[in-house]
Amino acid sequence: MSTAHAHVQPNTFLFLRLPSELLKLVEIRADAIIDIGKFGSISSNSLLGRPYYHTYELLEKRAGEAQARIRVVPAHELNAEVVTSAPTPAESRDDSEATAGTNGVPEGYDLLSEERTTGMKNNRLTVDDASRQALSQQEIEELKKSSGGKEIIEKILANHAGLGEKTDFSKAKYMVRKTKKYLKRFTVLPMDLGTLMEYITVKEPARILELREESLGLMVAWSNVHCCPDDDVERDAAGKRVGGGRWLVIDETAGLLVAAVAERMGILFPDSEAQGQDDGKASSQRVADKSDAQPTADTSTTEQAAPKLVIHRDFPLPAPTNTITLLHPAVQPNVSLLKYFGYDTNQPDTTHPLHTHLKPLSWLSLLHPEEDPTYREPETATPAEMAEWKSGKRSAYFKKRRRWERFQSIVDEAREGGFDGLVMATSMDAASILSHTVPLVRGGGHIVIYSPAAEPLVKLVDLYSRDRRAAYMQHLAEGQQPNADDFPVDPRLLLAPSLQTSRARAWQVLPGRTHPVMGARGGAEGYVFTARKSIPLEGGVEARGNFTAKRRKVNAPPPPPSSDSIG
Amino acid sequence: MQNGRGPTPPPRTHSHVPSPFFHTPARTQSGALAILHLRKDSLLPVTLGTDSDGGYAEGPVTNTRFGSFPHSTLIDLEWGSQVRASKVNTGSKGRLIKPTPQPRPKHALSEAAADVASSSPARAPILEAGSGFVHILPPTPEAWTSSLDHRTQVVYTPDYSYILQRLRVRPGSSIIEAGAGSGSFTHAAARAVFNGYPNPQQPKKARFGRVYSYEYHQPRVETLREEIRSHGLDPIVQLNHRDVCTGGFAVDSTDGTPPAADAIFLDLPAPWLALNHLSRSLPQSPLNANGPVHLCTFSPCIEQVMATASVLRKTGWTEVSMVEIANRRIDVRREQIGLSNEGLRGVNASPASVDEAIERLREVESKLGKVESKAARLERVRQQAEQKKLYKEGHLVHRTEPEVKTHTSYLLFAILPQAVPEDNES
Repeated sequence: MSTAHAHVQPNTFLFLRLPSELLKLVEIRADAIIDIGKFGSISSNSLLGRPYYHTYELLEKRAGEAQARIRVVPAHELNAEVVTSAPTPAESRDDSEATAGTNGVPEGYDLLSEERTTGMKNNRLTVDDASRQALSQQEIEELKKSSGGKEIIEKILANHAGLGEKTDFSKAKYMVRKTKKYLKRFTVLPMDLGTLMEYITVKEPARILELREESLGLMVAWSNVHCCPDDDVERDAAGKRVGGGRWLVIDETAGLLVAAVAERMGILFPDSEAQGQDDGKASSQRVADKSDAQPTADTSTTEQAAPKLVIHRDFPLPAPTNTITLLHPAVQPNVSLLKYFGYDTNQPDTTHPLHTHLKPLSWLSLLHPEEDPTYREPETATPAEMAEWKSGKRSAYFKKRRRWERFQSIVDEAREGGFDGLVMATSMDAASILSHTVPLVRGGGHIVIYSPAAEPLVKLVDLYSRDRRAAYMQHLAEGQQPNADDFPVDPRLLLAPSLQTSRARAWQVLPGRTHPVMGARGGAEGYVFTARKSIPLEGGVEARGNFTAKRRKVNAPPPPPSSDSIG
Repeated sequence: MQNGRGPTPPPRTHSHVPSPFFHTPARTQSGALAILHLRKDSLLPVTLGTDSDGGYAEGPVTNTRFGSFPHSTLIDLEWGSQVRASKVNTGSKGRLIKPTPQPRPKHALSEAAADVASSSPARAPILEAGSGFVHILPPTPEAWTSSLDHRTQVVYTPDYSYILQRLRVRPGSSIIEAGAGSGSFTHAAARAVFNGYPNPQQPKKARFGRVYSYEYHQPRVETLREEIRSHGLDPIVQLNHRDVCTGGFAVDSTDGTPPAADAIFLDLPAPWLALNHLSRSLPQSPLNANGPVHLCTFSPCIEQVMATASVLRKTGWTEVSMVEIANRRIDVRREQIGLSNEGLRGVNASPASVDEAIERLREVESKLGKVESKAARLERVRQQAEQKKLYKEGHLVHRTEPEVKTHTSYLLFAILPQAVPEDNES
């Protein structure tokens, strides 16, 4: 995995997870101060270069220190706090009998154990009263100023009169509560899709259509999105492009879906290792630009890929393969979340793989390009004319031409079709989208649609139902044009439209205290529609098999006497 | 690989034979792996041009319950095409040669089949059968998973899709998979790490994604090895015959470089036993020393989870968390209720409303007028139905499909951060 996910690097985004389980999004720069809420603040330099997933504790400030120092909390210390007394597992498979002696359950639960009656505490004698804590609120506040989190917790426990009466379970819960409150700790997590989704799900879930990781996993799997290292796109007999790792994406999740698809294609992270044609140039450029910031190991290899074409930074010609064509309803696409992965569409990093592999296209440009002024070819000038221009005018002229060439190539390629698949998460009417986009997907290609609620997708499945398809083919056989009200989409074009939903249920796994967690976020079930593009036979064909009833014939020509050789 | 392809594709060097899972040519070709979509949840993998039944006059033929499909009708089509069944005499008279009794490898193109496919000028003309069709699809890990032989409990798409997401597997990653089992996860993992084929001719460019797969059951290893080879995945997947609990994660290859894994998936009866071999302190550690390592274990029993979690926590792993995935497939249908559509297929012929019930009761009770016989009524309904749009009548409903997988396995995740000196203060 590239170093971006291994070590904290300057000018990147990362997350700090606080003891309250809340995530804090931080953009880290050198020589800056990171504010960690009520805990205080630290210098960003103390995190730079460190590996991810470690937990740190803020140390008490020494006199004259502006920021707190931090120390790594070793994993064994963290884990020891989580688990107070872990039962030993069988050390080898043959030992499995050994645990049976205790029946593999904590003593108090063991019905066969003789101490059953004496073993277990309960909450019969629990007293709920603030007076059981000998320390006053004021004393605790004093403690907070003078001592570390651990000491506070120890003192609070020592001064709790009823601690001995608590059951193990409630003692553990009490400890967890106090730990969350007083330990000045945080865990440093890299920017990745899972953590970003967790962060947004708490803050503004509607922004990503309440998409959860399990639904996103289903989408990228069923869409068959993967990296395509080919240099060029194959063409069919008619000369049209087919495949080549080109995906149509419709994204109303502020770029989260684009990021997920791009991640699987290897074009999400600046130093990703996609094998696209122009990546060699892109990354060598980047290395040259930022060589002082990050001396990467693969400098020598990337520089070997000598540029064939001069790629202009503002409007480069898009890559031919391994690309995402993003259809958007507004003038500009909303992919604001991509900035967390180093690609801000307002000021694009021209060396980012998305700059050449992401092709945004509005619905107007796709369906009515002649109405889009950008599609109109700018005037051409002869060299003689240009020779008289000032250099500013000349560069403006070339920029305009480049912009048009880029745009024209995106539009023409999209209208030609042959995409490997269509992935979408949107609240727009799916049928209106599919009627335009399914014909652009190659045969056998994948169509994957996410919706937070079932109904839009249920309606869509119904538009492709077997009965509706049969009726549609009946119309065709009779030489009629099926009307668009009853048939907003051609029901023959999708194979096996299916609907599914997944939900991850989290568990707490602790010795003697293992159970599903009590609550989770996200009311949206999250439904995923999947289908594959079918190339129907002209004239239709009668089905065969053990159907419960004889179906109406939809064939135009009368079928020849069926061969009975097949059972 | 070379003999796995027909004459049509251009010759390529060994390291660049594209896997049919990563590259779909414009049209179906002889020698290509294809998935025949018979009906929903009924998929049949075939290698085009391969004779599995043997010796038909039509050349290689695949017989299904929806008809017979000579491969000559399946080759050189646009992928996704609907294909009509053909008339094939599947009796002994239709055979050119006697079917060979010994079974051939399932997806490999045998020499004999290639001969039959290419050298039969006097092949019988192929007639379309009157009914029956399939769709021909390019293979995907999902299609493979739902069509493969169950040699073990299979890791299905709802689980593996989530696992690969959580393990942060990306193109270029290195992943360890132990118990390979039936190869379902293997295919999905190979797709996730794939970023090109390593080429010994070129100087080592970027890091290429690899799957290091381990399986201790010899026959399963052999079947899977053959599948990986014929699927063109051998440059990506390194399969090892080894019990990782006792033997660790050394690799069989000649260069013997350790996997340097970024992610680990353990589908083992006692995953905690394998954890000893997943330590950074080992001399030949299989882990990537320069980054975090993500782990997932896949265990059906809660006791396995507790034992594994306990060992993980003692051996320096953090972020220990466990989930189970509940996946439901949704059935969408139109429910037709009412006497007006009585007798039609799928209609619940009970009154749709009080009014309809009363109308029918009056009809029966009055006995004054002539009561329509049931046969006449059904015939009338049938004729009326011809004029109706039944596909948009009734309630559009959705519900969980009848067979629900209520439990597959528990997924236990953990992360091993890159090592740092413990007293590191700043």
